[in-house]
Amino acid sequence: MSREPSVIPAFERIQVGQSLPELRKTVTVEQIRAYAEASGDRNPIHLDEVFARSVGLPGVIAHGMLTMAFGAQLVTDWLGDRRRMAGFHGRFSGMVLPGDELRCTGTVVAKDADARRLTVEVRVENQKGEKVFNKGVAEVDFATEKEN
Amino acid sequence: MTDHRFVGRRYESAPFEVTEASIRDFMQAIGDLAEDGELVAPPTYAMVYGSGPIWQLWSDQEVALDVAHLVHAEQSFRFHRPVQPGDRITAEGRITAINERAGMEFVTFELAASDPAGRPVSAATTLFIIRKP
Repeated sequence: MSREPSVIPAFERIQVGQSLPELRKTVTVEQIRAYAEASGDRNPIHLDEVFARSVGLPGVIAHGMLTMAFGAQLVTDWLGDRRRMAGFHGRFSGMVLPGDELRCTGTVVAKDADARRLTVEVRVENQKGEKVFNKGVAEVDFATEKEN
Repeated sequence: MTDHRFVGRRYESAPFEVTEASIRDFMQAIGDLAEDGELVAPPTYAMVYGSGPIWQLWSDQEVALDVAHLVHAEQSFRFHRPVQPGDRITAEGRITAINERAGMEFVTFELAASDPAGRPVSAATTLFIIRKP
């Protein structure tokens, strides 16, 4: 996926209260399987429908970390640079099931002009408007050019 | 109920070799295909190179976590530097808290990832809840 350089935000022009372009994702069984393979998290609650039901779940559920990855992508897509992500945390407040249509939204809630850092609030909701990832906070660092 | 005496127990993985294929598989899985020149892993790839100690915890027969009823409740990351193909990362995990509230169990697990020189790559804190069977 290529990005237009013009959409990458300049730190000076970012304002507190500004919203990030929203990101939408539809979760599928195939995606949950691909995530299990790529991440190494093969807990059967994500892969085995019968097992998931046997432990009281409505069926296989998505990994919380898949939802959190969407929340991170919301921020890094906006930044146009994954290196600026300095911290990220949040709560998994609801189950995500195959077929769920997720909407990731974010707002700049703090800006430290001297330290060149931003705090971005991140939320992920399902098609019913239920929050599945809540109290998300991404810390963004514009100060350092992080080199390996 | 998990025994409180396991607080402080540590797990260390063999060094994780970050490959281009592993990063690309992860990007495909999450549907984040953005790339600007150099390939940099998405932030939550930290759970991939940190998965070794987590699996050790989950399969530790002495601690005997009820993994089938385990829910990932909260997650926190600090990223010290970008992760790219060729990186070699060692992750150390530690159980830092085991609590019980309202009949549910809360287990906190901390991961510290570092490079071969011992410099930090990222730190992560995970809160697991064990649901009532």
